[in-house]
Amino acid sequence: MKIAILGLGAVGKGVTQVIAMKQDYLQNKYGFNLEIVAAADSSGGVICNEGLDANLLLKTKKEKGNVSDYPIYGDPNLNSLKILEEADYDCLVEVTPTNIEDGEPALSHLLTAIENGKDVVTSNKGPLALSFRTLDDAARFNDVQLRFEASVGGAMPIINFAHENLAGCHIESIFGILNGTTNYILSRMAKEGSSYDQTLKEAQEMGIAETDPYQDVEGIDAACKIAILANSVLNRDVTLDEVEVIGISGITPESIALAKKEGCLIKLIGEASHDVLEVSPRLVKLGSPLAVGGTMNLATLRTDLAKDVTVAGLGAGSVETASAILSDLLNIWRTKK
Amino acid sequence: MRLNLVLELIDVPGQLLDALRPIGKLGANIVAIIHQRDVKTERGTIPVQITIEGDKQTLDRVIGSIEESNIQLISVDGVLRKEKMITILVGNIVGEDVQDTLARLNNLEGVQVADLDLKMSENPENSSTKIVLEADYGQKKNVLKKIKEIGKQKGFLIINEV
Repeated sequence: MKIAILGLGAVGKGVTQVIAMKQDYLQNKYGFNLEIVAAADSSGGVICNEGLDANLLLKTKKEKGNVSDYPIYGDPNLNSLKILEEADYDCLVEVTPTNIEDGEPALSHLLTAIENGKDVVTSNKGPLALSFRTLDDAARFNDVQLRFEASVGGAMPIINFAHENLAGCHIESIFGILNGTTNYILSRMAKEGSSYDQTLKEAQEMGIAETDPYQDVEGIDAACKIAILANSVLNRDVTLDEVEVIGISGITPESIALAKKEGCLIKLIGEASHDVLEVSPRLVKLGSPLAVGGTMNLATLRTDLAKDVTVAGLGAGSVETASAILSDLLNIWRTKK
Repeated sequence: MRLNLVLELIDVPGQLLDALRPIGKLGANIVAIIHQRDVKTERGTIPVQITIEGDKQTLDRVIGSIEESNIQLISVDGVLRKEKMITILVGNIVGEDVQDTLARLNNLEGVQVADLDLKMSENPENSSTKIVLEADYGQKKNVLKKIKEIGKQKGFLIINEV
């Protein structure tokens, strides 16, 4: 399978690294020949239809900062759309930065690839949370696969898990911790009794929270995931703006202390069901599966037959997220074999 | 006929006797009592299981009298009567008239405020209160929605249970 990678940030680099690590393993174990034939970042791109060297691509990006500096094949005039026109690829891996205003440029990348009859794998929440039906309809119409396991909860299995392992169950609702940064902050506040501002600063210094933490702490990131889950798992037709969102910036040490007295923790919980789309701070019983600490992501799927099923995993990290992308690629290849 | 009741008593002397007295007075027989003082609920109350016997009318009257008293009737023959729910509000709790907040919760049908805990912060506009409510079984979703409405009007951050 030949892939084109658009975006070489944390996730794009993770995918490249995983391919460099696993190329032989995939060949030996599954007979799966996975090759990168094109890649692009904001500096330009590189195309080699015979396959790029994943290690050299990583090295180029690391040392020079630009993939257009890739020996011989790199070209600063190659942009993403040109790559989609010119490269000979089977599947697009779309991992450009998330944009929650209009989903671009990822949305155009995905639609172009789909309309050209290519399968697509993405971790990009923006286009999925804003234009899920457009993408899903286009993929069906063009008879290609659209997979996005990595968009919700990083390495935590949930979308494919719901479709495959829970096939036959009616899924009534999904609720859980879908943002690692806020879970880290709330866990620290509960442990140390510290204030929100102080803990946020600490998380920023540790690199857990971003310099601009708005999308995480105000619940927008989790809301994107709820919109994606509501569409893909609950089969609802909704967009991000329909999710009711309250973040954690109003959580005080006093409120956490009161919750503790009742044997509870405060967690930022995303919930999707047939009549609820919500992200808000909620009370969680100590000792319940939702009472996880640190940057873990966790979700419970409430079903008719299997009752409650809970999944957990690391919600961020480049290689961790890349693991979900690799499983999507492998699954697409398997269905075509 | 027989009924299995589960009551919750406060841990002070004489509570069990107070709970049992009306049963005998109304003419029902007590078949069994399971009362373990050292097994407590999270709130520090003691659950007591009582099996009573009598005709339907008598038993109905017994349940009626328990419900009128201060004793919490948790379940009848395994069917829950009351649900407990906790909510935490953050905001200008006192400035936004805490009494009015409580009155509005108490006025919801089948809802009673069972406990309230207030924690002031340095900035009174960021104070927190924990409210424990008891509602008729099946009302939870409805009550949580009402709490949200009140919170929105008064500018509180609402932290409900999952």
